Amino acid sequence: MSSVNPLRRKTLAMRPWDWSFPSPPVSHREVVSAQPDEPTGLPPLLMVHGLAHAAWCFGENWVPAAAERGYPSYAVSLRGHGGSAGARHLRRTMTRDYVHDVMQTITELPEPPVLIGHSNGALVAQLVAERYPLRGLVLLTPAPMHSAMGDLVAIGKDRPADLLRAVVGQTLSMEPDILFEGLDPQTARTYSDRTGPESPLVQWELLLRRRVGPVRCPVLVIGTPQDRLVRPADVERTADSYGVEPMWFPGMGHDVMLDTGWDDVLDQVLGFVADLPPWGTAQVR
Amino acid sequence: MSGMARTPAKKTVSTVVDRGDAWCVVGAGPHGMSALKALLQNGIEADGYERESDVGGNWNFGAENSRVYESTHLISSKPFTQFPDFPMPDSYPDYPSHRQVKEYFGRYADHFGLRARIRFSSDVVRAVPVDDGRAWDVTVCDRGTVQETTYRYAGLVVGNGHNWNPKIPDYAGREEFRGEVIHSADYKGPEVLRGKRVLVVGAGNTGCDVVVEAAQNATHAWHATRRGYYYNPKYMTGRPSDQVADSLLALRLPLGLRRVLFKGSLAIAVGDLTKFGLKRPDHKFFETHPIVNQQLVYYVGQGDITPTDDIDHFDADGVVFTDGSRIDVDLVVFCTGYLVRFPFLEQDWLNWKDDHPHLFLQMFTPSYDNLVVSGLIQPDSGQWTLAHWQGILVARVAEALRARPSVARAFLSRSAAEADRRYSAGAHYKDSTRHYFEVAHQDYLRALQDAIHELEVSA
Repeated sequence: MSSVNPLRRKTLAMRPWDWSFPSPPVSHREVVSAQPDEPTGLPPLLMVHGLAHAAWCFGENWVPAAAERGYPSYAVSLRGHGGSAGARHLRRTMTRDYVHDVMQTITELPEPPVLIGHSNGALVAQLVAERYPLRGLVLLTPAPMHSAMGDLVAIGKDRPADLLRAVVGQTLSMEPDILFEGLDPQTARTYSDRTGPESPLVQWELLLRRRVGPVRCPVLVIGTPQDRLVRPADVERTADSYGVEPMWFPGMGHDVMLDTGWDDVLDQVLGFVADLPPWGTAQVR
Repeated sequence: MSGMARTPAKKTVSTVVDRGDAWCVVGAGPHGMSALKALLQNGIEADGYERESDVGGNWNFGAENSRVYESTHLISSKPFTQFPDFPMPDSYPDYPSHRQVKEYFGRYADHFGLRARIRFSSDVVRAVPVDDGRAWDVTVCDRGTVQETTYRYAGLVVGNGHNWNPKIPDYAGREEFRGEVIHSADYKGPEVLRGKRVLVVGAGNTGCDVVVEAAQNATHAWHATRRGYYYNPKYMTGRPSDQVADSLLALRLPLGLRRVLFKGSLAIAVGDLTKFGLKRPDHKFFETHPIVNQQLVYYVGQGDITPTDDIDHFDADGVVFTDGSRIDVDLVVFCTGYLVRFPFLEQDWLNWKDDHPHLFLQMFTPSYDNLVVSGLIQPDSGQWTLAHWQGILVARVAEALRARPSVARAFLSRSAAEADRRYSAGAHYKDSTRHYFEVAHQDYLRALQDAIHELEVSA
């Protein structure tokens, strides 16, 4: 662990706020999953979506494709999203509740998974990684832990109306041209229409600067130069905080698991997973 | 455990299976499992040993050394009690039952692949340091074949618990008494109480649970205590009361102010205990292990429980109390706690004084760097969050001993000097065997967190 890394803090055992105000339980969590035809001994993959998305965004391509390649694959809908309960309380939902949802899902898996987070889901995944001994951590176009202020300013320059809506607590725009580059317009529109509302608190929380404790599993960071939500500089900085180089996929939009070329990204992710050392032998990051 | 600890090894079998760099973990209860998991998770080979055929330790209801009874529920709420990296399911209530707890431990073992690393139905008969304390020879007896095997390990984690060896007080006239006397260790459910006049001795959480069950099932219940206590409700303002309490800790309020707030809220929630005939507490809040029982005061108010003084002596049909009063009883239940014993180790190795070990961070002995005790704590909060962090610290120390011995030595060199340090967050615990291992969770967790950090940054 580097002592100068500004995004790391020491191991935190004492969490009285978490204990005093635990996340309210949810009655139902949607988990989309696919299993390989026969047991392969490969680690399970758990995928976590970003703002306004749900499990479907991984269920569409990645979950079946990864299962076909031998990985037990799961995608969870965070509370208030997709088929999970909690829509009524969405406006009170905070990032810590999403962390809770992912932790709950992990305990239902047969063994420690590789956690794959997209966008805000990547932020959630990092908060999980400091609490739980993951096999590996994959961050797809990750929302920055060091505050998304820069991204918000960029969005404001580009699309001032979108910024204004987010500031007053409406869901960030998930129009097709923001999420996709290569996808045909019709499919892009279909996906965009499947996005739902997001918690304003969670969106505002993106402006916080967060620090996490030591993460002790290998990390893969993936970005695209064309991303219209998370700036490449922020992807760079996230990767840097784990001492790794980001892997770039030029020509793709923010939703790398849906946009044209998703299979190339998945190839790289599965390559990373295949090379993971046995559980427990990784270095501190 | 059997009493074979002190008998010297017969020199008939001399083969020792060398497990190299591996560590040995005794016990597959929450502390043993969390240490085993933390070691494996950090790339340190480790074997676990468990005398029963399943994980769970004390929570393995029905097992010989399990001390839970039919109605046992947690008295600390889920968020404090669970392993922080393996939360209890949302479907569990705030205070799960012992059955749910056991199921939870089973899922933890399955999830982290621990069962394959634990040898079940195996008694650890003795453990002795060899090679100048650089390794441990652990002799294990298979309960089925009664075969003994000795394995050599780089380190030893003692996680077999301290709540299994009953402490039974000695009162004059015990032999004369014609009624029945049991220890809560053997209390499994209310059947034994039905239709009897029952005296329950001791106001630990078990004593309070048992006397409430006696109020519900026995002809009459008496409750003998040495002193008055604070009886905390399980809920305050609709929230588990430990969650309310930790809100104050999160605000970092000083001890004095927390005492005032606590006494105030107890005055509203429970009221003046002396009005019920209970003794006035002779100590300040946070000076004894918290009792969490909402029903005891209620049954005292209904007349089903009569509070009494401590026992002075027994006679043929009953007991006489220190205030001179006397009652006839059929059954006396001693809920008087447990004495810590590690029958497979020499007590001297654990810095044993005044009938209990004195260990740095309640874990590390000045005698051996590679001998660690996990679980010798009694927090004012949930136990297994602390078990988790003790496990992580065990792994950090094991890592350091292997890869960076000088760092490990620097850390452990404090073992003697800090052996008597208490983690009480400023309170002075009442001197009683019950409070030898008492820790204030906030103080203790911060100490563990600092220790872990120290070993991590010097990586």
